[in-house]
Amino acid sequence: MTFRRLPSGGRIDRNRPVGFTLDGKRYRGFAGDTLASALLANDVTLVGRSFKYHRPRGIMSAGVEEPNALFTLHDGARTEANMPGTIVDLIDGLTARTQNAWPSVELDVMGINQLAAPLFQSGFYYKTFMGPTKGAWMFYEPFIRRAAGLGAATEAADPDRYETRFDFCDVLVIGSGAAGLAAALSAAGGGGRVLLVEQDSALGGGLLSEPEQDGWLQARLGEIRNASNIQALTHTTAIGLYDDNMVVLVERHDHRQPDPAKGQARQVLTMLQAKAIVFATGAIERPLVFANNDRPGVMLASAVRTYLNRFGVAPTGRAVIATNNDTAYAAAFDLAAQGVEVIVADSRTEIPADLQRRNSIEILAGTSVVDVKGKNTLHAVLDGAEQRTITCDVVGMSGGWSPVVHLTSHGGIKPVYNAAIAGFVPGGFAKTHSGAGAVMGTFGLNAAIREGAAAGGGSIAIAAAGGEDRPYAIVPTWMPPRRKGKAFVDFQNDVTAKDIKNAHQEGYHSVEHLKRYTTLGMGTDQGKTSNIIALAEMAELRGLPIEQAGTTTFRPPYTGVSLGAIAGRTIGGHFRPTRRSPLHDWHAANGGVFIEAGLWQRAWYYRWAGDTPESAYVKEMGLVRRGVGISDVSTLGKIDVQGPDAAEFLNRVYVNGFAKLPVGKARYGVMLNDDGIVLDDGTTTRISETQFYMTTTTAQAGEVMSWLEFLLQTQWTDLKVQVASLTDEWAGMAISGPKARAALELAFPGVDVSDAKLPYMGCLDFSFDGVPIRLLRLSFSGELAYEVHLSADYAISLWEHFLKTGASLGLKPYGLEALASLRIEKGHVAGLELDHRNTLDDLGLGKMAGKEKDYVGKALRQRPMYQAPERWSLVGLELLEPEKRLRGGAILFAKDDKIEGHGRGYITSVTWSVELGKTIALALYNGGLKHVGEEIVCAFPLKNELTRAKIVSPHFIDPEGKRLHA
Amino acid sequence: MRLACPHCGPRDYSEFRYGGDASKQRPPHGTTGHGTGDLQTWHDFVFLFDNPKGPHLEYWQHVLGCRRWFTLTRNTATNEVGEPK
Amino acid sequence: MLERRSALAVAHPFAWAALTLGEVRGFTLTQVAGFGNFAADVAATAGALPETSNQAVESNGRTIFRTGPHAFWFVGPENDDLAARLAGKAIVTPLSSSRTRISIEGRAAREVLRKGIPIDLHESVFTPGMFAQTGLHHTPVLLHCTAEQRFELYAMRTFALNVWEWLEDAALEFK
Ligand SMILES: [Zn+2]
Repeated sequence: MTFRRLPSGGRIDRNRPVGFTLDGKRYRGFAGDTLASALLANDVTLVGRSFKYHRPRGIMSAGVEEPNALFTLHDGARTEANMPGTIVDLIDGLTARTQNAWPSVELDVMGINQLAAPLFQSGFYYKTFMGPTKGAWMFYEPFIRRAAGLGAATEAADPDRYETRFDFCDVLVIGSGAAGLAAALSAAGGGGRVLLVEQDSALGGGLLSEPEQDGWLQARLGEIRNASNIQALTHTTAIGLYDDNMVVLVERHDHRQPDPAKGQARQVLTMLQAKAIVFATGAIERPLVFANNDRPGVMLASAVRTYLNRFGVAPTGRAVIATNNDTAYAAAFDLAAQGVEVIVADSRTEIPADLQRRNSIEILAGTSVVDVKGKNTLHAVLDGAEQRTITCDVVGMSGGWSPVVHLTSHGGIKPVYNAAIAGFVPGGFAKTHSGAGAVMGTFGLNAAIREGAAAGGGSIAIAAAGGEDRPYAIVPTWMPPRRKGKAFVDFQNDVTAKDIKNAHQEGYHSVEHLKRYTTLGMGTDQGKTSNIIALAEMAELRGLPIEQAGTTTFRPPYTGVSLGAIAGRTIGGHFRPTRRSPLHDWHAANGGVFIEAGLWQRAWYYRWAGDTPESAYVKEMGLVRRGVGISDVSTLGKIDVQGPDAAEFLNRVYVNGFAKLPVGKARYGVMLNDDGIVLDDGTTTRISETQFYMTTTTAQAGEVMSWLEFLLQTQWTDLKVQVASLTDEWAGMAISGPKARAALELAFPGVDVSDAKLPYMGCLDFSFDGVPIRLLRLSFSGELAYEVHLSADYAISLWEHFLKTGASLGLKPYGLEALASLRIEKGHVAGLELDHRNTLDDLGLGKMAGKEKDYVGKALRQRPMYQAPERWSLVGLELLEPEKRLRGGAILFAKDDKIEGHGRGYITSVTWSVELGKTIALALYNGGLKHVGEEIVCAFPLKNELTRAKIVSPHFIDPEGKRLHA
Repeated sequence: MRLACPHCGPRDYSEFRYGGDASKQRPPHGTTGHGTGDLQTWHDFVFLFDNPKGPHLEYWQHVLGCRRWFTLTRNTATNEVGEPK
Repeated sequence: MLERRSALAVAHPFAWAALTLGEVRGFTLTQVAGFGNFAADVAATAGALPETSNQAVESNGRTIFRTGPHAFWFVGPENDDLAARLAGKAIVTPLSSSRTRISIEGRAAREVLRKGIPIDLHESVFTPGMFAQTGLHHTPVLLHCTAEQRFELYAMRTFALNVWEWLEDAALEFK
């Protein structure tokens, strides 16, 4: 088992040597190498240990299907595990580590798993850890996780940058082999925008390993470069096909060594919308199943050829090619041409004459490789017509080809079995899809070109390649010859032919059961080389034709995708959008401390009042109760409701009447959903006969807007009403406290804001300094209070004006914490109480509802269940143990209840009452105010706390509303 | 998935919000009596839905776009959508 | 004296070789909607209205977007009195403060926008004069192509700074 780099040939750039390390040891390769080809060139053939049995493994393939040669790349935060070396472009300084072996791949102590092999046979987990012995999993898990596994991910944050983007094209061509190139050129000839994607580092597909067709390839690549309407992307994998021709592409830039500081993305995920898709995804060669077919040096025949022709890496002495079909002969002839002695063991008794005519190789018809022995030197054991053991450097095996039907199946079209090629081909296509080349089971080069040209629209002729297509012939062999020794089907998950027999014996017949029972196809390679073999074996065991055994379901992604590519830049500060009030910049510059409230950044408290929220909000509350404060309420939803039927419309959506609301007056309103549950509350002001200014809660603004639009556009289309969101147009600030009117008088000299002119729930529109101002006398705090609304552009300017003119009154800003606490004292419900489970009555608002009129939610509000006396409804609580705390979310129990289960309610909001000098809370409690005066227990199991409290009216202050009307 | 807004034309589904089953008629306004007579009608409208595998008439709103509400038929098994109305 | 302040007052406009990001200030945005034949009345005052949902019309110093079957946006100069002139003829909602107008210009403009906007922005498809009401970073935006390599993005005011930050980050590779 020795390989060497040939002195010339291949598509590597011998003028650009590249240094890299494996397990700390330095090696050299060339630009154009993959990690795998460079390792082979350095004669590194043992590159890992297998998943369960820790068997030594080498490189099996030259592509995405690689099950064995998985590496952990890079160091530190850039550590990336389980990367197939066959798809890793060799870049200077690349560090790679082998996986699943300790202390090294050469000397792996876990190799002992081979002795404990029965433990790891199919169904092991199920038999051992399900049912009565389930507890055993706890004991064995750490051992199993350590013993069987892949590479480990880093826990450090990924320092690289990832992008996501949208794109569109007329024709997407997936795969750039002969069929794909022909399809792209043909489609471009039709004038459309063509996108050609190739997962490999170069365009060409299988042609990259066929030097004799290089003339045709280079000519087509030239045409592709010259076509202004073809965009060709290498390193780009179509990982999934989704509804309506959306294809997700992932482009990898590692070979460019992107610098995140310069905004260069390591990977780019594109959500591509294609009008038409041509699948030219090719085919993957299958291994043969025989004893010890996993020994390093046993490779796919096509991979041997690729390493030879594309990378200039060849076995040094002798090669055995084991096959059941014609394609492996190409590798045999190419090896022979390089002076390698080649023996072909062809399990078929009849071999096409044209293959036999060439005498550079020895062909053994009717002969199979049944076992491979040896560690450093391979001994291929041949059986059948010829029985001998051949010492060799490599065994190239070919069990036939599996068309890459993964993407074509993502839309739900199952592939169908084509007996002529012994493989599954697409079971059909959507109208705008087509396939060409090997994916269709078409293995002739010129046939693939013709199919590609037709799939691309056939608008221009595509030159034929040299030579005649020869027919493809295969006599499939699935089951291993009867020999001792493990014969692997799924190399990555260590699933053997015997495991499949076991599954069959135990009744796991369906392919979906087989997969789960044996873990077949569940590795990072998703069974690209193994699934078809396994289901063919199962079909044989069941005595069914393969087409009746069915396939497992193909799901995205086709190959592994980093989480970074999926997240893109939706991380950190861009995890979700941030919404800022028009007053945000002022808060930020003047000691405001922010808190997230939904998407909003809100001013939580201000530094003038303290350095912690606990100290600050109490001081800010005091300001409002005793003097005057100003607060940012711009986050409230604001809606312009206009039209001749506006009053009728509002009268329908609110439970209370709005039809007769006088112009210049505001009214508090509550909306229900159709199911009778409270949707939202707010105040709405009549601006004119046909115009209203609605406000909603911050949290429900979007929901209410959509709901109003729904009713107007789909249900009450006869109502002449237009709604428009003003949430972003208007800023709002509350001026609250006994001195609020004085503050307004100072701010707006000459404007009459007397109680007579602007009574409680009144509205005054006027112009100040040329800017329209809407002054509403509303109170959330229970104090004399106003809301000033104006165009958001002027918000900071007016806010500063208030602070300046109100300085003599001690006017200062107060934040969200104080705002929310003041309303608790007043007993106003807010988002925390409106939990989308409560009715009007639960919130003590039942009397608001119009008796005579119809309104949204009226019918279902009257459901008997909603009328039950024992519903959780609004109460106030007072803390009875001052040294303890009340906590939001605490579960409430009656004094003598056993503390278990869901209790009789829960605390929604808690605050320190400045007015009462004690901790108070709002809560929802079974039976509500019937229990006023009772002592209850508030349980907070997270902190193991039990706290006594007393049920009181939720209106802690000024229940008669004298202050409001002051 | 692409949905066609009747005003803006075909757009990515991320611009829309789903608005539920449109196959049933919401009881008209003004028909809720003073008692509980039509409770059953409303109950059935709000709570009882078919869950078909296949064509399903649905409400959608072009919420990031023109904010139109419209209906279309979507095949719940394949996500094939029909013309918007 | 009350002063206007943009939602992007703290943002830093930039002009790189491939990309310029800036703000267009001083405009009047008036939403005009109505019932029945309101459009005829509006046209009598404001000039011809666009018929299609994707092509803006320039008329009387204003850009007019048809934002819905029965709604238009008029983007006029800073002290446009259109709202007053249309009073009584249509449902008029002044929205000048509600949108922040971000300009994106340069050869990288389309690629930066592609990172967030799910519509076809190819030069041959989204051509000067066209617009779309769509989404960017989960927020509603109106994107207007004003020239081959220049766009104006009307972002919600309260999201505008975040949209700006998002664009700035998306643009980084073109610095
Ligand atoms: Zn739309």
